[in-house]
Amino acid sequence: MAYSDKVVDHFNNPRNMGSFKKGEEGVGTGMVGAPECGDVMKLQIKVQNDTIVDAKFKTFGCGSAIASSSLATEWLKGKTIEEAQKIKNTDIVQELNLPPVKIHCSVLAEDAIKAALADYQKKADGALTEAE
Amino acid sequence: MDHHTHSIAGPRELQMARSMCWHCQSEVAGEYFCDRCVKVQPVSKDLDYFTCLGFPRRLKIDQHQLEAKFYELSRAFHPDFYQNKSAAEQTISLGNSAMLNIAYRTLRDPIQRAEYLLDLEAGSVKEIRNSPPADLFEEILELQETLNEYRTAGRASETESALRVKLQSERNTLEQRQRDMEATLQQLFVEWDTLQDRGETTDQARTNRDRILKQMRENLSNRTYVKNIVNDLASTIG
Repeated sequence: MAYSDKVVDHFNNPRNMGSFKKGEEGVGTGMVGAPECGDVMKLQIKVQNDTIVDAKFKTFGCGSAIASSSLATEWLKGKTIEEAQKIKNTDIVQELNLPPVKIHCSVLAEDAIKAALADYQKKADGALTEAE
Repeated sequence: MDHHTHSIAGPRELQMARSMCWHCQSEVAGEYFCDRCVKVQPVSKDLDYFTCLGFPRRLKIDQHQLEAKFYELSRAFHPDFYQNKSAAEQTISLGNSAMLNIAYRTLRDPIQRAEYLLDLEAGSVKEIRNSPPADLFEEILELQETLNEYRTAGRASETESALRVKLQSERNTLEQRQRDMEATLQQLFVEWDTLQDRGETTDQARTNRDRILKQMRENLSNRTYVKNIVNDLASTIG
């Protein structure tokens, strides 16, 4: 099975790899894993005024998992929280031309986005109650 | 579907739905060959691998017994012996052989066997996402970074040898952790078998059953994460 050109491109030149400094403001972190293949994915978003201004990822896994998370961070940047919620794994599958055996990689990326958004929301709500 | 009634079947009695022989319409009760016309019967797609090979749903399986049963059925179903038979029998022989091979490959490996059992008893271990072990993930990602540093460090440089020492010790720790997880799994396997052997249907037994399955699932998936990083370490530092 050959990877599509887009997967290879993201794999060779991953976008936004890394992580934010601990304790940085407005950051939400999603950490997910696929017991099926043992892949681990960490995806972070940095939010200002309801808009995702930056996103970073670290993924330990196959080429498709790296490409899926790399693409996810590209897509997240500039989106509002609400828009980000709407990113579906099927969008990633389509963009990267993932074969059926690699669809779970895109599911993982979607889960990571959801987890990062939820984490940000939780922190934001917490900050709000403290301020009150 | 109620699997529990199957799990008490002894090795000799295959508890399958009674059905009719496709050839002579006489009743067959799970035998692979019709009593009356001796025609081979198709293995039902709904049959689980344990039943297919005549084993109860236990996690301890005698490898020799398993192998003997596999060879016995392989001979019985092998397409070579059906070359002069009808097209219907040839198709059944092919289907049964394929099913038998998958069943044997799955049950032969203790980990795959346990994953399969979880699949049967509690839905796929792969589909259900238990809350991720965040500490383990952080550790894996950090280690992955060190691995990358090592890969890009100059050959025979000081950085490289320092990183190698660090990675080697991480590897030892993780290998030990994998062994510990496997030991825990073995204990859970025994617990499962004991519980099944007792065959109790009390609330307590049910709670126990769910706990064992849950712990097995967690251990199996965590083991996969650890195994992957161990493999990566092994292939990088040799």
